[in-house]
Amino acid sequence: MHHHFIDRYAMGDSPIHRLDARAKLVAVLCYTVALISFNRYAVADLAPMAVLPLALLWFAGVPVWFGLRRVAILSPFILMLVLMSPIYDREPHAVAFGPWQYAVGGGWLTAADIAIKFALGVLALTAMMCSTRFALLLEAMRRLGMPQVVVLQLGFLYRYLFVLIDEAMRVRRARDFRGAVLAPVGRRLAAVGGVVGSLFVRTLDRSQRVHLAMSARGYRGEPHSLHRLRFAAVDMLFLMAVAAYLAACRWVYPRWF
Amino acid sequence: MFAPPLAMHMANELLSVPVAGIMLALAAAVVAIAARLARPAAAGGHLPLMGVMGAFVFAAQMINFTLPGMPGASGHLGGGVLLAILLGPAAGIVAMAAILIVQCLLFQDGGLLALGCNVINLGVIPCLLGSWLYRVLLGPATSAAAWRQYLAAWVACVIGVTAGAAMVPVEAAFSGVLQAPLSQFLGVMVGVHLVIGLCEGAVTFSVVAYLRRVRPELLGLDPLDLAPTDSPAAAHRPGYGVVTVSLLVTAVLLAGVVCWFASTWPDGLEWSYLEHRYAAAEKAVYNESPLVAAVDRWQSQWSPMTDYTRREAPLGQLPIAGTIESTAAWPNFDGWRSVAGVLGTMVTLGILYGVSRRMQRTTQSV
Repeated sequence: MHHHFIDRYAMGDSPIHRLDARAKLVAVLCYTVALISFNRYAVADLAPMAVLPLALLWFAGVPVWFGLRRVAILSPFILMLVLMSPIYDREPHAVAFGPWQYAVGGGWLTAADIAIKFALGVLALTAMMCSTRFALLLEAMRRLGMPQVVVLQLGFLYRYLFVLIDEAMRVRRARDFRGAVLAPVGRRLAAVGGVVGSLFVRTLDRSQRVHLAMSARGYRGEPHSLHRLRFAAVDMLFLMAVAAYLAACRWVYPRWF
Repeated sequence: MFAPPLAMHMANELLSVPVAGIMLALAAAVVAIAARLARPAAAGGHLPLMGVMGAFVFAAQMINFTLPGMPGASGHLGGGVLLAILLGPAAGIVAMAAILIVQCLLFQDGGLLALGCNVINLGVIPCLLGSWLYRVLLGPATSAAAWRQYLAAWVACVIGVTAGAAMVPVEAAFSGVLQAPLSQFLGVMVGVHLVIGLCEGAVTFSVVAYLRRVRPELLGLDPLDLAPTDSPAAAHRPGYGVVTVSLLVTAVLLAGVVCWFASTWPDGLEWSYLEHRYAAAEKAVYNESPLVAAVDRWQSQWSPMTDYTRREAPLGQLPIAGTIESTAAWPNFDGWRSVAGVLGTMVTLGILYGVSRRMQRTTQSV
């Protein structure tokens, strides 16, 4: 298990990968705001909103099924909301598609609206993460005004995430091999406490060692990085195109069509 | 295959833009203050502490604890309260914020806009409330008795986690997206998270038991102080009596929750029956047996294509008003618009897909 699992595509190269991380972060944030601001009965107006995430995925060379699988993995909780809607909102609404017109309970529209917005939001986020290295994203966040301490902790979290998960999985396998599953409740709980507790102690010691190693290498409170962010004309163009597209989706399309 | 444990992180769809913005600003302010407060501790020898501890929480969530009597369900550590107890609330908040940001970005768990709400619900409230409760219940930390320490950790967990979760329906209600009655959603969320909090409390409590034995100084205990009162043999398995008591309390709390559900659920049913718009239609068909009437009613509510809504009016006009009671609910809608929109979107997507494929082919051939 290592970072390949989550950043399988982030190390690639494509026009989207080459964009400044700040431009992508701001674009996806604006996209999410626009997505949420749609009326929850206006399901048909959401159609053009599918263009941006899919286009980003395609141009970044990320298979769409990868994004769709993320949507499927994350859907259980949102599915509960989706299924709840038709029960509570039964006010009839007209739905028309070409010559066909039906009355549908408002809840069904809301359900479709939540599901579509959720899927599009996850796809947009996936597209950004699959086309941006996490280190560059952190640098972008720092430049956009996130406190230095938080950015630093995010970097450490990312760096040690899979180191510690691997460790925990090894310990868990050892525990399960020793038949801890069959023990009475109190013992099992004590086993979990021991495992998690020793993991905690080891982590504490590890962070101390990491700190000493950093100090030995001359760390004085400012992280140094070889990554350079450069906000070029292409990035400005990209942001302006996204802004125009979002404005068109949000205001022009629902009114004119 | 590594599947991150799915917490019930709030999704964007549960929030309106203003509420999400306010919560995001609030969370940013709290995290900035916490980062400032945590900095002296971080500078004093432990700079990577909070980030590495965030990774620890991810790893600790891998260590599951199968619940008694609930096959398939397993409890694991949420982490917020434990970090707040062991590292202090400020460091706990920063670590939890880092965890939630990574969960949102790398695992797409929890929406980007809902990040503010998630940081408040899962980070700030459990850390602040949990560490406060822990400290109040514990009394003087240097020589706390074992049972008191466990009880404090356990109560802090249960209440911290549940209080954070109770914010979810409230935020959704403020956003105006809540369709179920607030009391019902609140009941479900509090009930579910009481159970989650109890599991987390049990795990936290067992971690505290372990640390008390191995590294008492991490809990603020004076090891020399402990030695005469707790013999190593007694300290070895201190938890069992407390485990029994906590399971007893669990049973009482669960019974209370079940009673609460039993009392709120009829209200919910009554509400959905009384409020729907077919009260008149119900009376009209009430000549058959009640069973048939009920089936009819359900069919007329649930089927997407009921007879009376087929279009009788010419194209471009809405059907004649009066077939359904409320015409106000009908938006000004033309079917061809949606056809054009969907077709246009599909054509655009097709073109973009073709262009991107072509670009990839050219870069590969070069």
